[in-house]
Amino acid sequence: MYKILALLLCLTYVTALEKVNNQLINKNVERSIDLTTQLVKITSTITLENTGRESVRNFLLVLEPNTVGNVSYSNVKDSLKDDLKIVRIEVDNQKDKTFYNVLLKQPLDAGRVTTVVLEEVLTKSLIPFPSSITQKEKQLKTEVSLSSRTVENYTKLKPVVQSDSTITYGPYGTIQPFTQDEMIIHYENNAPFLTVTRLERSIEISHWGNIAVEENIQIRHTGAKLKGPFSRYDYQRDTGTAHHSIKSYRTILPASAHSVYYRDSNGNISTSTVRPRKEWIELELRPRFPLFGGWQSSYTLGYSVPSYQYLFKNPSGEYVLNMRIIDHVFDDMHVEELETAIVLPVGVSDIKLNTPYEVERLGDEITYKYLDNIGRTVIKLRKTNLVEQHIQDLEITYNWKPHLLLHEPILLSIALFLSFVCVIIYVRLDFSLSKSEHSKKE
Amino acid sequence: MVQAGSKKSSVSKINSKTGISSLIIFVVLLLAWIAGFSSRLFAVIRFESIIHEFDPWYVSAWGGYVFIINLIPLHVFVLLLMGRFSNRLFTSYTTFYILGLICSMQIPFVGFQPIRTSEHMAASGVFALMFAVGILKYLQGMMSKSEFKSLVIFGGLISAGVVFLTVVALTYAGYVAPWSGRFYSLWDTGYAKIHIPIIASVSEHQPTTWFSFFFDLHVLVATFPAGLWYVIKNINDERVFVVLYALSAVYFAGVMVRLMLTLTPVVCILSGIAFSGLLELFLREDDNVRSEESEEEEHTTPSKRLYDKLPKEAKTKPKGGKSVGNVKTPTSQAFLNWNFFSHLKAGRVPKMKHEQSKESDGIGPNIRSIVTVVILLLLMLFAVHCTWVTSNAYSSPSIVLASYGSDGSRQILDDFREAYFWLSQNTADDARIMSWWDYGYQIAGMANRTTLVDNNTWNNSHIALVGKAMSSNESAAYDIMTALDVDYVLVIFGGVIGYSGDDINKFLWMVRIAEGEHPKDIRVIDFSYRKVIISQNTVNSVWTKKVPPTLLNSLMYKLSYYRFGELKLDYRTPAGFDRTRNTVIGNKDFHLTYLEEAYTTEHWLVRVYRVKKPDEFNRPRIPVANRVVKSPNFISKKVSTQK
Repeated sequence: MYKILALLLCLTYVTALEKVNNQLINKNVERSIDLTTQLVKITSTITLENTGRESVRNFLLVLEPNTVGNVSYSNVKDSLKDDLKIVRIEVDNQKDKTFYNVLLKQPLDAGRVTTVVLEEVLTKSLIPFPSSITQKEKQLKTEVSLSSRTVENYTKLKPVVQSDSTITYGPYGTIQPFTQDEMIIHYENNAPFLTVTRLERSIEISHWGNIAVEENIQIRHTGAKLKGPFSRYDYQRDTGTAHHSIKSYRTILPASAHSVYYRDSNGNISTSTVRPRKEWIELELRPRFPLFGGWQSSYTLGYSVPSYQYLFKNPSGEYVLNMRIIDHVFDDMHVEELETAIVLPVGVSDIKLNTPYEVERLGDEITYKYLDNIGRTVIKLRKTNLVEQHIQDLEITYNWKPHLLLHEPILLSIALFLSFVCVIIYVRLDFSLSKSEHSKKE
Repeated sequence: MVQAGSKKSSVSKINSKTGISSLIIFVVLLLAWIAGFSSRLFAVIRFESIIHEFDPWYVSAWGGYVFIINLIPLHVFVLLLMGRFSNRLFTSYTTFYILGLICSMQIPFVGFQPIRTSEHMAASGVFALMFAVGILKYLQGMMSKSEFKSLVIFGGLISAGVVFLTVVALTYAGYVAPWSGRFYSLWDTGYAKIHIPIIASVSEHQPTTWFSFFFDLHVLVATFPAGLWYVIKNINDERVFVVLYALSAVYFAGVMVRLMLTLTPVVCILSGIAFSGLLELFLREDDNVRSEESEEEEHTTPSKRLYDKLPKEAKTKPKGGKSVGNVKTPTSQAFLNWNFFSHLKAGRVPKMKHEQSKESDGIGPNIRSIVTVVILLLLMLFAVHCTWVTSNAYSSPSIVLASYGSDGSRQILDDFREAYFWLSQNTADDARIMSWWDYGYQIAGMANRTTLVDNNTWNNSHIALVGKAMSSNESAAYDIMTALDVDYVLVIFGGVIGYSGDDINKFLWMVRIAEGEHPKDIRVIDFSYRKVIISQNTVNSVWTKKVPPTLLNSLMYKLSYYRFGELKLDYRTPAGFDRTRNTVIGNKDFHLTYLEEAYTTEHWLVRVYRVKKPDEFNRPRIPVANRVVKSPNFISKKVSTQK
């Protein structure tokens, strides 16, 4: 009756320099999988033991072959909660698997034990089943920690215990390397399954003291598709909170944001509230219509922030911009495609870009705003499959001469001056075919 | 001042010629007002629209240009009748006609219409007449009086005959289009309703109500005739135009709400003249000299003098000021410092006692101040009213509705945009939407979807087909909708919030228009109660009691009220209470077979339905050859238990 989704239970950790080191073993692996939202958040606490004779500087991490495309974010921390560096590598005679090389801060001596925490966020791993539902039905998901007690069915790989909204598997004994076993859980999940299909973020810097941010957002309800009619009557009568449709959501803006606008191609969307909090500004956005499975919407959200909080001048005279490469759209968000454009001021040079994680840099463009005759450099970045953990700062360093600030006012003054000169010349010329009565008498 | 002097002289001239001329003026005014009033009355009594539908004559912006293109020749013609022919008139009119003709023909849509339709014949006729008069004037100088007289009579008769015959011949041959039905509807108020219901159905084409006159014009309704009187009293070439414009615009505005547009400019002009005349009379006094001067500067100069003679005027002004120098007081001088000329002479003018106040015809200072205050108060109220009307009636877009709660809070009803945005986001790009033609442009613009009919649909039968689909029962409508490839149907339903401009209130027109094209299938009588032709009033009152079944089964009824019977708006009213019609709906429980609700906006204002595909609403019909018969061994449980 239920469709099956495969999820690998077991990760295999081995250390190697190019090849798998069988001396390093996973002494203990505890995985906790959070399925309360539309994302699958996996936290694995791994105890590594070096049974070899040489000290080990790094270890390898292998992803399950069928979740590779779904991993949006992964991060490894050591016992001191410091991030460890992860590099993707290939391993001989294991070409079919994706390996990541994790460098340990301190080499692990022979016979010693260390603990690392692996954090992963998977997107698109929850598959609605049934894939389309009517307005009144509940949204059921197939997968693995639960948001409610309504669990329809789950893989019984013994030993397994279900208590309330938690299913506990294991403990399992000795497991061979590269062993995998799948787990399917079918449960109710009415958390908003909202995906940003495309986010275009544009940051425009003005050295007059303002940074304008505009986000063009396309969203889609990616939960179970709505089957059959939509009834406003039923929708109005159903006041329960746990409904699979999305009525509104919260967006968090920086505390200094002002001049916020929320609109779409038909103009201002009149249903939004701005609530200033101490540390941020909370924006409650209500799309024009409630979103049901498969429905989509799009809007533009824009605001301005003062530049002194984000733009600095370093001692060597360069300007440094620290802005978020992507910002919060809604809690537990999933962004399929992000395109960030940073519009730099007129006449910048020596642009250096520093991103917190790997992004694709598209070709620079030149745009023309009001009164521009030189044009502004636009840096374009693109990345797919992003989650909340990707909200991090990017850093752009550039050279810019302050006198360029006067470029446009001077341009305007010259233009006005020239037009006045033209008028002055024009009024002194006489184009009339015949002398007017007035001047004749004089 | 010189203005004052000339004013005096003109007044005395009129006084000397009193008798006949003032009688004529009185008769003219009376006739104008009788014409205007009777047209209004006529329109109200018939309670139907009379219409001048300008649509087919769009030049670039608005078909209303036909009004102008007939008004200018009329002006010229009247000038000719008044014996005011001049070379100036000849040059300006011929230039205007030729240039206007060439320019308007550049617009693709207009093409050759200006020389081929009867509506434009007046302009070309006057054009020919100008030449005829021009030639006659020229010949007059060369011939003796008797020769000229006979030439005028014979030449005139012959040319008139030739022109008339040519026009008739061209009309018969099809080169010139005869008067269109829309033209007749201007003169016969009932014409449109009977022959072209689609024109009569537009709310802008309804006859103007008295309320609307006062709402839009306020005190100007009263002052505008006074202005007209002033203009007729001091007639000249240009003012003839103003008078003609005023008279014709009054008539048209009475015929149709929309033509208030053409009336308002002339009302403003004439009321300005009237107020200026009034103030001129009552402000000419010691204490109020200041304002009087300002009024004089602003109003009397242009109204007394022709604008083309202004330079001369300006020249004589300082001279006159010096020689006459009669009304200057310290206060007026101070005020006149605004003026360059007066600034020059300010120091030189001797203080003099007023001749003006002496010669004034005994209006006491009290009356003066009372009248002035009343006028100013009126003007102030007018300004307040205008601001209010502009902000309340003409500023808010009709697509966003706003309502005010009891505590003064404003609630925005944004249902139209909600529905259009839903359509644009969640329907296929090539989806076709059927709705009444009023929403065509909005759907095209905001939802970016194809519509069957829109506000610029010329094809009457197309609109009638949509009207037929809306007024047929579901299965008949389904046939029409499949033939037209309709994917979604959009209806406007105001029953929840009490929005009166919804489709049910327009339904009567849909039926009428459909009947015009499909008299066999749709009959207005089927939709009416007690065999009375339904009007909006009877629909309202009869709605609940004995609604005709044709109406209950019509697509429009079903789409508007689908599941509305279950909705309870508040505790005082029963379920299914329609706030627009103020009744409980006739049929509460029904289902849709061929359509399903696709989206309904928050306040139910816009309802969108999806037209089902043939396999969705019923078991698909399988051809006999393809039918698979179940195995004969099968015995149902029911049968077996009976055994």
